[in-house]
Amino acid sequence: MTWLTWRQHRAEGLIVLVVLAVIGVFLLMTGLEMANSFQQLVLSNCLISKNSSCGELEMAFRIVQAGPLLALALPLLLGALVCAPLVTREVEQRTHLLIWTQSITRMRWLTVKLALVLGAGLLASGALLAVLIWWHSPVAQIFGSFDASVYDTSGPVWVATALLALALGIFAGALTRRTVAAIFLTMVLFLAIRAPVELLWRPNFETPLTVTYAIDQQNPPALSNQDWQLTSGFIDAQGNRSTDFRGSCTRDETLTQCLQANGVQANYLTYQPGDRFWTFQWIETGIYVVFSVLALFAAVWLVRRLN
Amino acid sequence: MSNALETNKLSKRYGRTWALQDCTLNLPARRVAALVGPNGAGKTTLLHLAVGLLEPTEGEVQVFGCSPLRQPTEALPRLGFVAQDTPLYKGFTVAEMLTLGRKLNPSFDDAMALARMQKLGIPLERRTGKLSGGQQAQVALVLALAKRPDLLLLDEPLSSLDPLARREFLRTLMDAVAESGLTVLLSSHIIGDLERVGDYLIILSASHVQLAGDIQEIAKTHKRLIGPRQDEAAVASVHTVIEASHTERQTTLLVRAHGPLFDPSWEVQEVSMEDIVLAYLSQQAGDRWPMPPSVREQNGREVFK
Repeated sequence: MTWLTWRQHRAEGLIVLVVLAVIGVFLLMTGLEMANSFQQLVLSNCLISKNSSCGELEMAFRIVQAGPLLALALPLLLGALVCAPLVTREVEQRTHLLIWTQSITRMRWLTVKLALVLGAGLLASGALLAVLIWWHSPVAQIFGSFDASVYDTSGPVWVATALLALALGIFAGALTRRTVAAIFLTMVLFLAIRAPVELLWRPNFETPLTVTYAIDQQNPPALSNQDWQLTSGFIDAQGNRSTDFRGSCTRDETLTQCLQANGVQANYLTYQPGDRFWTFQWIETGIYVVFSVLALFAAVWLVRRLN
Repeated sequence: MSNALETNKLSKRYGRTWALQDCTLNLPARRVAALVGPNGAGKTTLLHLAVGLLEPTEGEVQVFGCSPLRQPTEALPRLGFVAQDTPLYKGFTVAEMLTLGRKLNPSFDDAMALARMQKLGIPLERRTGKLSGGQQAQVALVLALAKRPDLLLLDEPLSSLDPLARREFLRTLMDAVAESGLTVLLSSHIIGDLERVGDYLIILSASHVQLAGDIQEIAKTHKRLIGPRQDEAAVASVHTVIEASHTERQTTLLVRAHGPLFDPSWEVQEVSMEDIVLAYLSQQAGDRWPMPPSVREQNGREVFK
């Protein structure tokens, strides 16, 4: 079975290796440049007090914004193009009739294939993760590990994302039995799980902390650059919070007077402290692993019953 | 266990359509059986049930006493299967297909497979997708034979082959049968070929087994009766009338005789196997052939469904 899996997927494996190598070279080149810029930032004390020359240096890190795209596209491509056809290609070419009537059972065929393909996929994503962590470490130190461009590609969440995409591909293939439909369904399912978790659930894995400050205070209290600021707004006399200001100011009022006139008692902002980073990573990892395991069990059940 | 394949009230339903219904048959070991029936009769369904690719809706199927679905580790090594249109991995070379067979089957006979490929002149380094249809069928057959199965099932292996490829395919098959004494169940709608290689016949039509038995026995018991125009009721009380046609002056019956024919007014003729099969197949879907009451008691078991 190992030989068969290797023989059927060696071309795909080679492509993945080439893609990884290209990405690796790109990360190495841009990463060295970023490390260099970071060194200058430290030398010119930009991390402590920001001055005009710092903005220029920070431009060097714009490349990191490609991170979230990478975090979604790579595993998704792997799931849709390698895992979705795992079952459908056999059914479409009718070779399942050949392979399921050899001396090994259908379940053994499936479990060995899953183990090898998933194992290789996780290995590849793990290797890339190591490079990515080094690559965006300057960004993590400046903008914090909760930054969207860092968070997705700096811990177990990245590997779990890959697992999810692969597992969904296998499930979609076993469900639809048609390659095109399976590729489409893989993408839909992946985004349908990933987007709500990232946008709605992640900011609330734990109750955010709140700081309030007086309305005449010019600047909010400084958060650490590792903290993740979520929202800011106004608190009225009843203690109600609102994120947008519904009132109108006249020309001769100061901002403070205007806020007072509209019943605003204080400003607030909510944030997730930086030391929750690993807790959040493991919670999100757990969510993706649960979905992956469900998808894989469903796939096994579907293949067992496939007529 | 003297039966290679046994089914008991085996039925398979897809949605609301029965692909196979109430199929009870025994295929004795060391037979070469032909499974004939029109397209859509349930031949493929029966074969897929027998190799555990399908789960029965009702009833059961056993291969050498094992359920192919519930005891796959016992049943699968004893089964060889060549699916319709002989699917192969088109990107694999012939040598890689043999490696596949060797890796997935503990008793794979590599030497035999290589020898047969050489004899057939099939280049080992060629991709199977580049082989002719006849060669692809041969590769699939050799792969199934090299597994050293006790029961080989072939689903319409001849339908897409030209007459020459068909003859060579059957030669490879019969060589293997002569060498190893394996049991074969071969489905087809080409009757002539089956008569040449088979010694057992199963007729499947309209999701039901219409007839199953030794070919010589079938040939011996099926007769054509020609006589002056008359009602077939008298004959039907003793024998089973499969087909009756009447002209103005003459009545022709195809009967399965359950004993000697005494009435001298009938002229008795031999019937070809093809005519017997066609007579069974040309009946309407709902037709059954009840045993005459006298015979039913003697035999104890109904042959006709």
